[in-house]
Amino acid sequence: MILVVLEHDGQRMRKGALEAISRARQLASLGPIAGVVIGENTQAVAQEAAQYLPVVYAAEVGPYTAEKWAEAAHAAVQKSGAKVVIATGSRQSRTWTARLAYRMKAGLLEDTLETSTDSQSIIGTRYSFLNRVTERQQAPLPVVFTAKPNTTPLAEPEGSGTVETLEVRIPAGVEVLERVAEQKKGVSLTEATVVVTGGRGLGSPEAFAGVEELANALGAAVGATRAVVDAGWRPYSEQVGQTGKTVQPNVYIALAVSGAVQHQAGMNKSKYIVAVNKDAEAPIFKVADYGIVGDVHQVLPALIEAAKKLKD
Amino acid sequence: MKFIAVIRQVPDGESRLKIEGGQVDLSGATMILDQMDEWAVEEVIRLQEKHGGESVVVAMGPERFEEAIRTALAMGIDRAVHLVAEGYTDPITQAEALAEVIKAEAPTLVFTGGQQADWDAQALGPAIAEALSWPVVSWTTQIELEGDSHAKAKHDLDEGAEVVRVALPAVFTSQQGLNEPRYPTLPGIMKAKRKELKKVPVSTSSKVAIVEQTIQERTRLNKVLDGKDPVAAAHELVKLLHEEAKVI
Ligand SMILES: Cc1cc2nc3c(=O)[nH]c(=O)nc-3n(C[C@H](O)[C@H](O)[C@H](O)COP(=O)(O)OP(=O)(O)OC[C@H]3O[C@@H](n4cnc5c(N)ncnc54)[C@H](O)[C@@H]3O)c2cc1C
Repeated sequence: MILVVLEHDGQRMRKGALEAISRARQLASLGPIAGVVIGENTQAVAQEAAQYLPVVYAAEVGPYTAEKWAEAAHAAVQKSGAKVVIATGSRQSRTWTARLAYRMKAGLLEDTLETSTDSQSIIGTRYSFLNRVTERQQAPLPVVFTAKPNTTPLAEPEGSGTVETLEVRIPAGVEVLERVAEQKKGVSLTEATVVVTGGRGLGSPEAFAGVEELANALGAAVGATRAVVDAGWRPYSEQVGQTGKTVQPNVYIALAVSGAVQHQAGMNKSKYIVAVNKDAEAPIFKVADYGIVGDVHQVLPALIEAAKKLKD
Repeated sequence: MKFIAVIRQVPDGESRLKIEGGQVDLSGATMILDQMDEWAVEEVIRLQEKHGGESVVVAMGPERFEEAIRTALAMGIDRAVHLVAEGYTDPITQAEALAEVIKAEAPTLVFTGGQQADWDAQALGPAIAEALSWPVVSWTTQIELEGDSHAKAKHDLDEGAEVVRVALPAVFTSQQGLNEPRYPTLPGIMKAKRKELKKVPVSTSSKVAIVEQTIQERTRLNKVLDGKDPVAAAHELVKLLHEEAKVI
């Protein structure tokens, strides 16, 4: 039996849930698949999920804490007898899945790109060493693994299953006092096919008007480096890198970004990388497909012009 | 009060990585205290400075970890426990061994890095919390104690952040913005050499095996244009992206 923990926004399943279901279907030799929806408004989401899976548990536990999610997932494991648990490789999942794996005495494969089974174990590939190394890991069952977002085709509905309510003891320990919503506008950074990122070399928050203009002309999302976020020029939600978001667009355009390893950890798998930097020795050029050595204050307006012309 | 930082030693991000026999070979790399663990060490020292008590680092890894442990001691940590284990042990298995030491120390709280720069793993902190049946707060950017029974903390979620009140003892993992770590001073480095570092050999069997590691770098085109004529360069670049790469 395989259990998929289905990520949702309180209304519908998120894309990550449909990717996780696809991962489960790839392991069909390990038996049937059950799902669990944890959180708030779980009945409605579980009804949607039942179009994809034969059995879906709904665990109404309120707002997120890692303790509640681990507890609910563990209750679903016990009820279903699952030997494999699959969740999305989000930060939150990567916290509670560690609790769950410990509780199940299971091997944990974090943020996998691909997974397969030889019926005794799960084999998963993932990145390590700040996204520079690709490694293959193997763990005997039971196994908990997370699937890196945007790695797997989305599952299609298949038949109609049943929804069962799951009673869960609600653990204490963490009390949520306040939620701080993410500042975001425009195209979603992690889903964008084109990303335009500005670095400290732009010199001022005002200079980001040009970055936004280029992004608009290309239908792109705006990204930022940590230096820019620390300076308060851009919101943290735009940060790309080790401690920010990981992106993998068709083209990543880095303007006045030095290309520190911690920044590269969030963008080095982009299909094409473009750099504009006045320093020909900047590390970003080592990973660039195309680049211009020049002053961003001169090159950026010209790029905007050229991009607008292209789209006319 | 007692504050514990769990730390690891990792290759410096600027070091070139090599692969030998299907595994990463670190013999030529510069090894450092993981920079996210450094935030944990700094926070533990600040908590001790503010509230008194003791600060301890606990680490599990090969002999070479001693250098990173000495760095933490030089920053100001009082003493260290090093579980000496060669080879790869996954974070879930490590958590069990680390939790045993932590339990005996009975700290007010434990801090560790949000993600390790070698394994790219985020599991160690939460797995330690589970092993001790304590709560966990990941990606912490602010923490304030409320007596010795609770802490108020701000931490990042996938989207946005939240402020939580946590019952202590608890485990916290670090995130950028938590603090700016201090540099060890020369007297600090001298003192660190004499601080207590208890080594305990452990043997564990990893639940996860690393079958093979490879470095699969995309070959990049490296077509770099001169920007002396910015208009011409910009047009050429847009043309290449449109006609050659076909990505815009
Ligand atoms: C644990 C840890 C985690 C981190 N996580 C992240 C992360 O998630 N994301 C991240 O980005 N960083 C991260 N960092 C920080 C990272 O190491 C770098 O400090 C940061 O990425 C630098 O940002 P930058 O490129 O904007 O600035 P700089 O390194 O200052 O580079 C500015 C660049 O602009 C160029 N420039 C200057 N003026 C001009 C001009 N007029 N025209 C053209 N080019 C110009 C310069 O040549 C230079 O290359 C992390 C660091 C640590 C220790």
